[in-house]
Amino acid sequence: VRILTSGRWFAPARSAAAPRRSELRVGIPRTLNIWSTHRFWLGFLAALGFDPRKVVFSGDTAEEQGREYGRGRGTVDCCYPVKCMSGHYGELLFGQKRKIDILLSPMIRSLPSFLHGQVVDSLACPRVMAAPENIKAGFMKEKDVFAAQGVKYLSPFVSLAEPPIVPKQLHGALKAALPDLTLAETQKAVAAGYAALDAFNRQMRGKGREILEWCAANDRPCILVLARPYHMDPGIGHEIEADLQAYGYPILWAQYFPTDPDLMDWMFGDDVRSGKLSSPFDVKDVWPSSYSANTNEILWGAKAAARVPWISGVIRFVSYECGMDQPTLTPVQKIVESSGTLFFSFQDLDATKPAGSVKIRVETIAYYLERTSAGIIARKKGQIGSPGPLLAKETEDPPLGEKAPTQGDVGVGVPA
Amino acid sequence: VKIAGVDVGSTTVKAVVVEDDRILWQDYQRHHTRQAEKVLEFLGRLEAECGFESGSDAVLFTGSGSGFIAPLVGGKVIQEVVAVAAAVEKLHPDVSFVSEIGGEDMKTIFFASAGAGRSKQVYMQSACSGGTGTFIEKTARKLQIPAEALAQMTYDGQALHKISSKCGIFAEADANTLVKGGVPVEEIIASLFEAVVYQNLATLTKGNTPAPQVLLLGGPNLFFTGLQQAWRHHLMNIWTERKVPLPDGDPDALIQVPQEALYYAALGCVEIGKADAESARYRGTDRLVWWIEQGQHEQKAREGRNGLVAGEADMVQFLKKYAGVSGARGGLAERAQKSGGSTEPVIVGCDFGSTTAKAAILAADKAVLFTCYVQSRGNPIEDAKDLMRQIREAGYEHIGALALTGYGKDLLKDVVGADAAIVETVAHARAALHFFPDADVICDVGGCDVKVMILRQGAVADFRLNSQCSSGNGAFLQGVAERYGVPLEDYAERAFAAKSLPALAMGCGVFLQSDIVNQQRKGWSAEEIMASLAAVLPLNVWVYACQLQNLRAVGRKFVLQGGTHRNMAVVKAQVDFITGKVPDAEIVIHPYSGEAGAIGAALCALDAWRDGRASRFRGFATVESLAYQTTTNEHTTCRWCPVNCKRTFIDVALPGGTGRAWSKVPVGEGFERVISGNSCPKGLVEDVNELRVVKARMEEAKRAYPNVGEMVRAGAFRGGAAAL
Repeated sequence: VRILTSGRWFAPARSAAAPRRSELRVGIPRTLNIWSTHRFWLGFLAALGFDPRKVVFSGDTAEEQGREYGRGRGTVDCCYPVKCMSGHYGELLFGQKRKIDILLSPMIRSLPSFLHGQVVDSLACPRVMAAPENIKAGFMKEKDVFAAQGVKYLSPFVSLAEPPIVPKQLHGALKAALPDLTLAETQKAVAAGYAALDAFNRQMRGKGREILEWCAANDRPCILVLARPYHMDPGIGHEIEADLQAYGYPILWAQYFPTDPDLMDWMFGDDVRSGKLSSPFDVKDVWPSSYSANTNEILWGAKAAARVPWISGVIRFVSYECGMDQPTLTPVQKIVESSGTLFFSFQDLDATKPAGSVKIRVETIAYYLERTSAGIIARKKGQIGSPGPLLAKETEDPPLGEKAPTQGDVGVGVPA
Repeated sequence: VKIAGVDVGSTTVKAVVVEDDRILWQDYQRHHTRQAEKVLEFLGRLEAECGFESGSDAVLFTGSGSGFIAPLVGGKVIQEVVAVAAAVEKLHPDVSFVSEIGGEDMKTIFFASAGAGRSKQVYMQSACSGGTGTFIEKTARKLQIPAEALAQMTYDGQALHKISSKCGIFAEADANTLVKGGVPVEEIIASLFEAVVYQNLATLTKGNTPAPQVLLLGGPNLFFTGLQQAWRHHLMNIWTERKVPLPDGDPDALIQVPQEALYYAALGCVEIGKADAESARYRGTDRLVWWIEQGQHEQKAREGRNGLVAGEADMVQFLKKYAGVSGARGGLAERAQKSGGSTEPVIVGCDFGSTTAKAAILAADKAVLFTCYVQSRGNPIEDAKDLMRQIREAGYEHIGALALTGYGKDLLKDVVGADAAIVETVAHARAALHFFPDADVICDVGGCDVKVMILRQGAVADFRLNSQCSSGNGAFLQGVAERYGVPLEDYAERAFAAKSLPALAMGCGVFLQSDIVNQQRKGWSAEEIMASLAAVLPLNVWVYACQLQNLRAVGRKFVLQGGTHRNMAVVKAQVDFITGKVPDAEIVIHPYSGEAGAIGAALCALDAWRDGRASRFRGFATVESLAYQTTTNEHTTCRWCPVNCKRTFIDVALPGGTGRAWSKVPVGEGFERVISGNSCPKGLVEDVNELRVVKARMEEAKRAYPNVGEMVRAGAFRGGAAAL
């Protein structure tokens, strides 16, 4: 891991004069696997004494962002989710009212995943992992733009699926920039980071469970999205699922599917007891080469969709020329459709939203969901047999919105 | 010894002859796709005008056409970028950035000091028309701007408009829209210059900063004043933005366009030839003459593929299967006559497309009783009245249910009192499944768009639409037939007559056009070219326009529909193409190829009617006497994009109409508004006021139905400060 030192605010001899961590502004590009590790970094930095209010994320991906900040900085040709990162770097370097001191762009080799332990590995796509190096090159070719802007570039290589080795990785990568950083301190901060991420994920799964329980109580359909985490970025996934939401369908994402034991037992218990699966989180029946965290979760999501009656439709997002998604297209479709669930995929997503054809497709999907959801729910209920834990609670059924989470709820505290 | 450098480009041939560092001769001419002939002419002039001799002098070639010509005359081939770089290194040792734009390609070269010498990085693209000279010229031709005027047109001081920089065909469409919107041609051309510079910077700099000195080369950079201005504007911006240190003096002098800008590749050949003239010894023109007179025709015979039909038996079998399908033959007008009327309740489906509106009448048992159509006149109310009048006059008085589909469906639903507005994919799928219950794929090739619908579990699981690109659609075929003076009805017969045909390359329509000229020149006839266009159409439809590589994965029963499939040559090519990919494929032509949408809508309406619901149809009398007022003024002009379409608001008097109190053109209760005159769907929304109303409605729906992704978007990054 290379750390670029500008030497402006840090020089070993004057380390006593270096600003306190709480005064440093840290910029993080809101891209790629940051979309599933956001809270880890916030929790980690806060525990190290950084001021969470001074940790800034770049904005959503946007074509204007790329034009204004990333133009001419592309290096090797690659998929749009990686390519757009130039714009994020540029925005953090040039587009801030108050300049950042550190640009933190981790190279995430492996990811925390709720399937870890039941799968071969939880690696990130290699292109995604190496993206910071690729993008950095565009800012280094002719002159060191980071140094010129007085920004320290930190790109720690981390294996987040293996918590025991993470403190050493981060300590090694950060100590050049934070000379007084100790390994013990890093260990604590990493633990705080995982705790913050876990809390957030738990909260999101809780929202997912609320949605499913409401659907079960009201016999109403919902939609499950199968995609990579960065497809939540409005500039990458183009918020296509939100267009369907407006037709009256609650939206679940596979990454935040509830994993409570009662629910898992209802969905996968028979397969586990019969020995077909070693655990509810085992995907080897459909995806033996389970190396990629994001891919594994998409395949698992497909299995979940097939089993839950109220998921009457699945939406798949795939970015243009994604080599990781390519081999999964047919298996995912087959798993979902084998249960009679409707399956629609938006492939070749790129920089621009093809608004005209997306509108027609969304209307099309809404038409079929409206006409067939009741039948799909009834058939799938028959397949799974028992009513299950989603219906166990006798709930009054107010419209979901009244107890629906608002933005204000989603505030799992970052340790101060 | 004399050394000649010859640059055989995509549009011109350029040549220089140098002896002892002195230029003896130079010329450039357009070759109008006759590269070999023009080179022969140039070599003849070299021999006559400056004593160029075979056996002693040397000739080096570069450019897209150099590969096959050089071996014929004993010359040597130099890669284009290498040639340009050699000339620049010799003539301008202090240049750091070079842009050379050609007719169908573009290149950049970055020079940097490296130790004692200089290192260079070169980038080039020649696969796409975006960023090349053709990109500008194609649209300029369409706008009928003479070459001399184009050369004088400026960039500085012109208002710029958004024009797709990626593709010449998209750009031409954008330019058309701008023209319609009354934008002056000067501003459109300036926007084209902008697009070309943008495209070069966006795709060919790869992280390098074009630093001074800068050299602009190639025909477009030399001839178009406006393009030079656009470069100056953008380069100065980049230099300011990236704080590139500039030497004192006139910054304009940092960007040079040398008088010999056209000849740099040729001059570079000469430079390289100086080092080793022996291997580039000129051998005279005998073999080039032979190639022009005979060789290329022999090559034609070798390269050609077989005709559309493999033989008598193939043709008989094909016709037996497909010739009887009515949809492939008779037009709408013929069938519209066959109508007797009925007093029973009938089901009506109407398809309001962008150019025509169609209606289909179904009996309760789903039999198609009657179809009719009108050419759209830009006022959907009048189109609807016209269709209803035709239906009534045909003798159908009792409408049991009515559904609309197509572009105008949502606008007209309440106005005519339709029972449903059906999205076009659903309507098409419904119609296809009605006639072919096991259909897997619907391929609809119309005059200006291509649609593919993939069906699974009785639903449209995937949908591909290409309305942006002319490759693959019927208009292109029609254009070529017109150029040959062949009526469209005779297309198939003529195309079937071809025994062999040239292999046209799939893809970009801009390059397909020049490919056709090229093949014609090789001696291919009109029949053969028409046949080959039909043959390449499936490739353009499935692979290029719809990005479907693996047909086997989408199914085995294919339904062909849309106007272009009335052309049996296209059907034959489709059948062979699909069967080639999916050997057990079953391919059928929709019996109501053009009216599938209207029939599908009617079938959807039938569901509602069967449920016993009463139709909301307002009745013939009401529809035909619909009273409306139209408004066209500065408040109805669309402001969503710079095109500023002059829209018309049509306010129809309807009991129960909700009105639009918030509008800039307010209308009271008892009226419904229909918008026309917009050129894209965005214009169906009045302005930000309406967007606010629409958004608020959407937000309300979203609040009631949460989205975990939205919660993540809103919450996961908080705790950090908001960016910016």
